[in-house]
Amino acid sequence: MRFAAFTWYDLVLLAQGLGVSLGLFLVTSLLGLALGTLWAVIRYYRVPGLTPLVAFVAELLKNSPVLVQLFLVFFGFPAFFKLNVTPVEAAVITLTGNTAAFIYVIAVAAIDSIGRDQIEAARVFGLTRWQVLRRVIAPQAAAFAIGPLIGLLVNQLQVTSLISVIGVLDLTKIGAILNLRTLKPFIVWTAVGLLYYLAAKLVARIGWRLERRLSRYSAWRGL
Amino acid sequence: MKPVSIYAEPEKRVLFDPSILMAHLSFLAAGALLTAQACVLALTGSLVVGAGVAIARTSASAGLRKAAAVYVDVFRNVPFIVQLFFFYYGLPEIGIYIDAFTTGVVALSIAGGAFASDVIRSGILAIDPGIIEAAEVSGLSKRIIFTKIVLPVALRTSIRPLGSVLINLILTSSILSTITLNELTGSAKIVAADTFRPFEVYAALLVVYAAFTYAVSIAITLLHRRQNRYLGGKVT
Amino acid sequence: MIQVEKVGKKFGAVTVLDGVDLTVQPGEVVSILGASGSGKSTLIRCINGLEKLDAGRITVDEFDVSNPKQLAEARKRSGTVFQLFNLYPHMTALQNVTLAPIEVLKLPRTHAEEEGRALLASVDLADRADAYPAQLSGGQRQRVGICRALAMKPRYLLLDEVTSALDPEMTAEVLNILAALAKQGTTMLFVTHEIAFARGISDRIVFLDKGKLVVDLPTDRFFAPDGGLANPRIAQFLSKMRPHRPEGN
Repeated sequence: MRFAAFTWYDLVLLAQGLGVSLGLFLVTSLLGLALGTLWAVIRYYRVPGLTPLVAFVAELLKNSPVLVQLFLVFFGFPAFFKLNVTPVEAAVITLTGNTAAFIYVIAVAAIDSIGRDQIEAARVFGLTRWQVLRRVIAPQAAAFAIGPLIGLLVNQLQVTSLISVIGVLDLTKIGAILNLRTLKPFIVWTAVGLLYYLAAKLVARIGWRLERRLSRYSAWRGL
Repeated sequence: MKPVSIYAEPEKRVLFDPSILMAHLSFLAAGALLTAQACVLALTGSLVVGAGVAIARTSASAGLRKAAAVYVDVFRNVPFIVQLFFFYYGLPEIGIYIDAFTTGVVALSIAGGAFASDVIRSGILAIDPGIIEAAEVSGLSKRIIFTKIVLPVALRTSIRPLGSVLINLILTSSILSTITLNELTGSAKIVAADTFRPFEVYAALLVVYAAFTYAVSIAITLLHRRQNRYLGGKVT
Repeated sequence: MIQVEKVGKKFGAVTVLDGVDLTVQPGEVVSILGASGSGKSTLIRCINGLEKLDAGRITVDEFDVSNPKQLAEARKRSGTVFQLFNLYPHMTALQNVTLAPIEVLKLPRTHAEEEGRALLASVDLADRADAYPAQLSGGQRQRVGICRALAMKPRYLLLDEVTSALDPEMTAEVLNILAALAKQGTTMLFVTHEIAFARGISDRIVFLDKGKLVVDLPTDRFFAPDGGLANPRIAQFLSKMRPHRPEGN
């Protein structure tokens, strides 16, 4: 007799899958945020050689499908670099790079939004470049970027679903397993979709809370 | 599951040899054609669905507005692959048997329609109300006003963001490879397996997609300039 | 005949029209004068159905504009020319003019285009028939607007401050066309700030102040010291307007 019916344990499986998805989302978002901001800073300082490279890589990653990027890392890197890459490793590398590319664009726009006059004034007052970055640019850029950032993060959460294709046991993969076992696609995929939906809403809500807290510090926005 | 290295003769491997792709070019081209076909159809579908939903979202009926808002919310916050699997595995259960290509196009249209409706709605809201008033007092019916004035003007001003929707569709279409459709990504997977050279294949694929979307964005900019020459004088 | 009976209109707490009565017979040229905010434009917008009445009744040739079923008929009988032109930006001048005749009057396209070109020629725009609004000057756009309204062969022409957005040179262009139309016997209801022009071509002048109709007099009576000018509000209003004619005329 095929054990095809739903069990309570399936809820545990879904929860585990959701946990994997969210975990990878958080890790890659933070790493991508750091990497993308670094790239934007490289562009800001006009580092020779690196600036065009960074711009090129970001364009490439932004304008190509994430699935292909995943395949490149998971299938291509072992062949080329002769090292074994686990599905999770491949997922982390790919999603970090992809997120970083979009963060780069947002960060560049945010930094550019700050008037040169402010930066000049700060330099004239004797602040070093690093201090200018940390004290003048970063807070304002963050306030500017938070809106697009929330939209990006919600999108990247959806993108994590693709790692199921290379075998990571995320929420989508669990859904595929359950689908195959119970042969009840409507129930399975609706449940999976609902979980992703709720997770996306959660991310958006946290993001907007953060935005409100940040904008409290930019008092002049109220004028 | 760790992938085991299948390269038994490391000394015979050439470091980076894209030329192996040449033999499979026609096969890949067929895949690219399939991608193009799916995207064109899906774009049309997205525009139709998007226009319909945009109308619903700006309609006088509160029920219609709510339904449309829910649709957009759901399809923007659920991953595309989940939507795709929902249709691909679910439709046969209720007796609808359609092939992978059609399923893919339908799923892309529904998802793309959610994004397109946002764009078209902004375009509709940005129309000078005076123009609508002039049309109304001329005695034109609501249907004519919508099809001959509102939609054409809204679409013309929305060309840039609709271009983004198209680019998004092109990239998302790669996911169709997971339902056995041999579009560009699906074909590339087969070629990669045949040639044992996944790195070259996928790296080339990456560049091809990026080049393609770049070409599309240039075409969109040109189209925008051409259409908006007559609309407002200011060409951005 | 346009019949306006005890019309009232409020925007929120503000009363914009209060108990206005007006009758316009076919062939008459009536100008509505008044300060900004006196309700002049709102009155026109009530007549062509763009604003709903809060009180009173407006009929155009016996068709009640408050009745949705009769509004379409009422609108067929009137044409409106707008202050900001409101031309369809994605259509050529000719297409702007012919859209309504084709869709509403169901004229065949060639017929409508012939008449459209004739209309555009009569306002000196024959060579610009295939230009888009963005390529036309303000005065040219308003002339297209006039043709667009005339293309429906309306009984009554409603004109809402049609020269307020134009510079003096273009204003003169448009006023000349309107004067010619008035001479031909077109029934016109103007809202305008061009006092001299109104005086020149109107049969009657109506003065609105804060939503109330103050006077409704034949033109000579309006400008007579013992007629309209006897009213302090009107005298004050006219004295504040720029003189369009040199003193002594």
